[in-house]
Amino acid sequence: MSANADAAAASAPGSNLSLAFRRGLTDGAGVVAILYVILFTLYALWDRSALTASGVTNLSNNAAPLALAAAGESLVVISKGFDLSVSGVVSLSNVLMATYPLEGPGGALVSLMICLAVGGAIGAINGVLVAILRLQSIAATLGTMIMCQGLALVIMDAPGGTVADWVSYTLTDVIFGVIPISGLIVLAVIALWLVFRRTDTCIALFAVGADETAASLSGISVVRARVTAFVGAGLLYGLAGFMLSAQTATGNPTAGTPFLMLTFAAVALGGVSLTGGRGSLVGAVIGAATLMLLQKVLFSGGVSSFYTGIFQGAVMVLAIVFGSLILRLASTGARA
Amino acid sequence: MTSTRPSAALQAPADTRRIGRIRSETISTAAIFVLTIILILASRFVSPALGSWDQVDTIITLASFLIVVAFGQGLVILVGGLDLSIASMITLGGVLSTTWNGSFGSEWALIPAVLVICACIGALNAVGVIWLNIPPFIMTMAMGIIVASAALGYTSGTPRGAAPDAFLALMKGSIGSLSAVLIFVLVFVLLAWTLQSATAFGRRLYAVGANREAARIAGVATWRPIMAAYAISAACAGFAGMMLVGYANGATLRMGDSYLLPSIASVVIGGSSILGGRGSFAATVGGAILLTTLGTVISALGMDQGWRTVIEGAIIVGALLLLREDLIVKLRSAR
Repeated sequence: MSANADAAAASAPGSNLSLAFRRGLTDGAGVVAILYVILFTLYALWDRSALTASGVTNLSNNAAPLALAAAGESLVVISKGFDLSVSGVVSLSNVLMATYPLEGPGGALVSLMICLAVGGAIGAINGVLVAILRLQSIAATLGTMIMCQGLALVIMDAPGGTVADWVSYTLTDVIFGVIPISGLIVLAVIALWLVFRRTDTCIALFAVGADETAASLSGISVVRARVTAFVGAGLLYGLAGFMLSAQTATGNPTAGTPFLMLTFAAVALGGVSLTGGRGSLVGAVIGAATLMLLQKVLFSGGVSSFYTGIFQGAVMVLAIVFGSLILRLASTGARA
Repeated sequence: MTSTRPSAALQAPADTRRIGRIRSETISTAAIFVLTIILILASRFVSPALGSWDQVDTIITLASFLIVVAFGQGLVILVGGLDLSIASMITLGGVLSTTWNGSFGSEWALIPAVLVICACIGALNAVGVIWLNIPPFIMTMAMGIIVASAALGYTSGTPRGAAPDAFLALMKGSIGSLSAVLIFVLVFVLLAWTLQSATAFGRRLYAVGANREAARIAGVATWRPIMAAYAISAACAGFAGMMLVGYANGATLRMGDSYLLPSIASVVIGGSSILGGRGSFAATVGGAILLTTLGTVISALGMDQGWRTVIEGAIIVGALLLLREDLIVKLRSAR
């Protein structure tokens, strides 16, 4: 949030409204939200079912696992690190859900606890390796990711199994006829983030990400901040694996592999600086939703599936360029 | 490998810090190779067929792809970037060299043409990173997705054609009693190490990676070494793709996928900083050989794929812990 504070301070003379507007734009979340709206409009034009309750539910169910994983990754990236273990934890929770299905709401709760425990434990290991034993995060988490993938293969050596019916039906359903449950879960995580953002620990996270030496000299416990980031990220990956299982209703020991690249793309698209210290979890969530929506838009727009990658790559690059352009315009506007 | 120059002994004490750093790099490089040799010797306990010269030959052949790719990756990491496009560039090199083989006139026109195309795509990565300020992570990932998709569309899903004869000879042939690829690896490592550690170009790479602004003020046109690093990385990946095609005599669309993370792992296990400005290619080669040895030894264990993968991950973490720089420095000062 330090960048926001800077931007806010720089544009202090402006009116409150324009200040809020600029702040929204300079926060990466604003830019990607605009992109999302544009894409959604295109999607709605090409595919009328997009505006129905089931269309919205589909979008939400599709995006929720990646959004949660990206939310977790954003915590580590903000504290200036890379966490590759995301794909391992997602695969591991997925095979656990499919190998040991527990029926009913109680069973779902136990399953959720197992997923969170697995994610939290892996996160704690990452935290110890990176913060205390001082390994480079990208290398240490590569090791833990490979170990998790191996464990997922030990538990289930080929795709199969069935996730508990209660989980796969209820969590992909809607309440009050319109509100998708998967969306509510993502909103709950965002709400937690908004609370967490006001705590000292979160400020420490940003401080460590911006300048570790300065943070440590001002009395911040770098180790605590880093470990918190990794454990928080692990918990969210576990939740992402839980939601993915609800969506696919089956197990796959390599279910998490596509998440590796996509979470980083979502985080970057959401305006989180990959060099640390700047960004927000909300941006990462919207970034993830945008990536998933983009696939649907390309499909409904009739792009040959051979060439969707070309558009995906181009949109990613354009979004980043567009974002930094707006950032520059907004900051020169603030200076004028 | 990174021995201090003879004049070092005559220099003022102010330079000792630098000598100290070079020594700790030498030690960590040596440590990796020692670890690899121990692993090869220990593998005799796993299977009597292992630990022989033949096994070393096999390991070098399997590691050759990774060594070539990791050189490029290492240069990009050195200038403070990261190249996630190499998986697709390997595929592109393989696909172009097989599909155009025979229809392009001589191989000696085809191979340079493929390398130039790859290098241009790498340079495009650099354009995005330098002038459009796109994070390297995103620029190269997006380029990777774009190139992969283009290769998929171009081949309609099934790459055809055979490998160029030159690469068949390189990967399968032998010179005297030594396999051709072993000699190639030796020559490549020597040339690459010289380029990175003993030329003005190499020093510019380190300068730009350590502090881009300082390098600019010192008069380095910073865009040149950065663009060169990305172009070399893409060309190396394309070359590795052609080597893979020579090894397997045919291209597949996912042939590069299993080299992306290992290329980063080799560089980092070799002690280079992922943030740039620090590292040596000799240690990266050690990292690549260590990872490949690990793979072959573990696959001989006769366990489930799952447990083998778990052990591989555990050994990577273990090796990282053993090769920690501060640990080596501590050992040195305790002596």
